Amino acid sequence: MTTIDTGERRRGAESRPVITELIDGATIESIAQDAWIALVGEEEVLVPLPGEPVTDPVSSWVDVVGPWTGSVVLTTGRRTAEELTRALLQEHSPEVLEDEDVADAFGEIANVVGGNVKAALPGSSGLSLPDVGEAPAPRNPDDVCRVDLLWRGETVSISVQGALPALPAH
Amino acid sequence: MKILIADDSRVMRQIVIRTLRQAGFDDHEIVEAEDGADALAKVGSEKPDLVLSDWNMPNMTGIECLQALRSSGSSVPFGFVTSEGSPEMREKAANAGALFLIAKPFNEDTFQEALSGVIA
Repeated sequence: MTTIDTGERRRGAESRPVITELIDGATIESIAQDAWIALVGEEEVLVPLPGEPVTDPVSSWVDVVGPWTGSVVLTTGRRTAEELTRALLQEHSPEVLEDEDVADAFGEIANVVGGNVKAALPGSSGLSLPDVGEAPAPRNPDDVCRVDLLWRGETVSISVQGALPALPAH
Repeated sequence: MKILIADDSRVMRQIVIRTLRQAGFDDHEIVEAEDGADALAKVGSEKPDLVLSDWNMPNMTGIECLQALRSSGSSVPFGFVTSEGSPEMREKAANAGALFLIAKPFNEDTFQEALSGVIA
């Protein structure tokens, strides 16, 4: 079957902005720093330097759906995610952390960072509930704004990444 | 005074309770709800004097809970504590009858500012 290329599909894709036109790394870093001070602790500083590659990574993310559609993904090592969880729980931190505690705490950090990234984007968007696990793969290398930070010397990266083009349906 | 805190994150409920204490509102009974549907039920059973609710929750969102409360005739004071603090969300919250919207991340000053006229 011959398909006539009207160009509509390409124009549709081209009319969507990529994230680097909408937000920059400094804004993401500032949002993250505010979240860290409020949630993790007043003295908790994020240093904008790339660290060692993360072994045993865990990610938490929220999806933003609107004029720009994608995910705000935080990635760090599992032990660092546990340390973050203990910092958030403070005196309520149990001796042995359950996976559920880490998912809750690390997911909530993604929710706060993602909610504020969403608020910085133009137009009206929806925000998903947070998810924790293996990060969604970036779809378009031009539609990614990533910052690499250090918290207590450990790598924490934040990737604001587009979800388009969508993965082919199975 | 009885305060109902609705958030699907247990960690965030604890942070809200801690911040209330740090803001000087430490002499109040706290009831927790894990989503909007739970909050709606507990407003009926626990009769709180104030609801502090997240926006984005499974089962029933905070705004749906507020709308359901107002439709059922409840006038319980209701405020949002949410990561979505855009002007659009604030307008939606106010139109539905919320007294205030505290955006996450917050600190004790934010709580004092929003709650000083609400909590005796």
